[in-house]
Amino acid sequence: MLPTSGNRLNRATILFVSLIAVGFIIATFDVRNDGDSVANVMREGTQSIFEPLQKGVDWVTSPIIGFVDGVSNLAGLRDQNERLQGRVRELEAQVLETGALEERVRQLEAIAGVKAPQELPTVTAKIYSSGPSAFDNARFIDKGASDGIVVGQAVIDENGLVGRVDLVSAHDARIRLIIDPLVSAGVRIQSTNETGVVTGRGDGPLRLEMFRATLPVSRGDLVVTDGSRFPPGLVVGRVTEDATAEVGFVLRTEVEPAANLSQVDYVKVIIGWTALDADLQDGVIDTSVSTTTTMPPGTTLPSPTTLPSQTTLPGAGDG
Amino acid sequence: MSRARVAIALLAIIASLVIQTTVFGASGIEPLGVAPAFITLVVIAIGPYVETEYHLLLGFTAGILADLMGSGTLGIWAMTLTIVAYASSRLRARFNEGIVLSGVLIFSLTLLGQVVFVVIGTLFGQNLLGDDSLAAKIILPAVWNLVLAVPVLWALSELFKRREREWAT
Repeated sequence: MLPTSGNRLNRATILFVSLIAVGFIIATFDVRNDGDSVANVMREGTQSIFEPLQKGVDWVTSPIIGFVDGVSNLAGLRDQNERLQGRVRELEAQVLETGALEERVRQLEAIAGVKAPQELPTVTAKIYSSGPSAFDNARFIDKGASDGIVVGQAVIDENGLVGRVDLVSAHDARIRLIIDPLVSAGVRIQSTNETGVVTGRGDGPLRLEMFRATLPVSRGDLVVTDGSRFPPGLVVGRVTEDATAEVGFVLRTEVEPAANLSQVDYVKVIIGWTALDADLQDGVIDTSVSTTTTMPPGTTLPSPTTLPSQTTLPGAGDG
Repeated sequence: MSRARVAIALLAIIASLVIQTTVFGASGIEPLGVAPAFITLVVIAIGPYVETEYHLLLGFTAGILADLMGSGTLGIWAMTLTIVAYASSRLRARFNEGIVLSGVLIFSLTLLGQVVFVVIGTLFGQNLLGDDSLAAKIILPAVWNLVLAVPVLWALSELFKRREREWAT
């Protein structure tokens, strides 16, 4: 153990104040430049250095953690199994109804001359690390620009929307989860087709706000993406509380995310669609002017006719 | 001697960053849905073994690395862990006054770190006060750090002692 001395503490106090000032300047610079290229290069560099270590530790510890998790959840799994069996029976009945509806849709599309929806290409990735604190809703995946991933792409799992890519390096990428308070997504209620915005709250349910709602929202209503920032039709979650639209007031309620964000290990990144595509469709971006957006080799922007509102995707539909 | 101690402390910080983002992150160990603040714990725990100036620099380095490995604004963890390092340096002598007081200090300093992070993060637009689990994310890491303090303090003390023995022989 080291002794303390007044002189050393005085020098230490000066150093302390200096370091806080440096930290303050760095933070101000980062906020003002809104994640500029210098900060991103530093982040990518740091992540590249730590990536092998993180992957190694993850490889060693994940089976042990999985085993401990499995044992501790054994009792809960039995109840969950029964609940899921009941849910499977319900869904089987729904599939029969959906089959008939799909046939009708096919006939109507043939009449209207609309092309059948195509599945957008995806890349499967493993989450190998997370942000360094409980407040950080970031996850790192083992696929990057070399796999066709670019900033802004949607990330899903088998249940629905997980988040979006917000930083990419050659061989890995960072995802910001939908529960992050800085993430918002345009959504629509599937049953009424009314649109709104969901915003993360750091944990638990998302906040749903509908500014021009005319119809009430009911508990259990399915909420899907509206195609503004994420591809249309991705399942976001279900409404947890009834809410009624009142003139002059914003309709507010909560949405439980469909994806189990605390347990997700593998995700799919939708590489065939970015928010840029929605802007192109809406005419927000003038296609006659060259943009500087970097697209990976092999990524093609689908034409408006290949992106109908009911595009079928993994994690999409009435789940 | 100092350089060796600083090198060991730096390695401990790098290890803590890797452990925090893997074992205590992604679908790792998160009791009650909140992970321990392992990096903060290691920054506190190295305090008694390095000089105050080095402790501050190590705290700042740990913070800036945590910022670079996360998704928040750069510099927030750097300021937070510098403050934690400074506070724990001022309380260095108290760590010799028994295991109970050491536990209380680790709990309090972790709590301080979490609160400072929320305050600074909010000032820089991170919207942390809007977090639904704000109280849990402030208090639980301090509780988990109290539990983890025993193995971490023991491991670091063995590491530094072994190094000193090697220097002596």
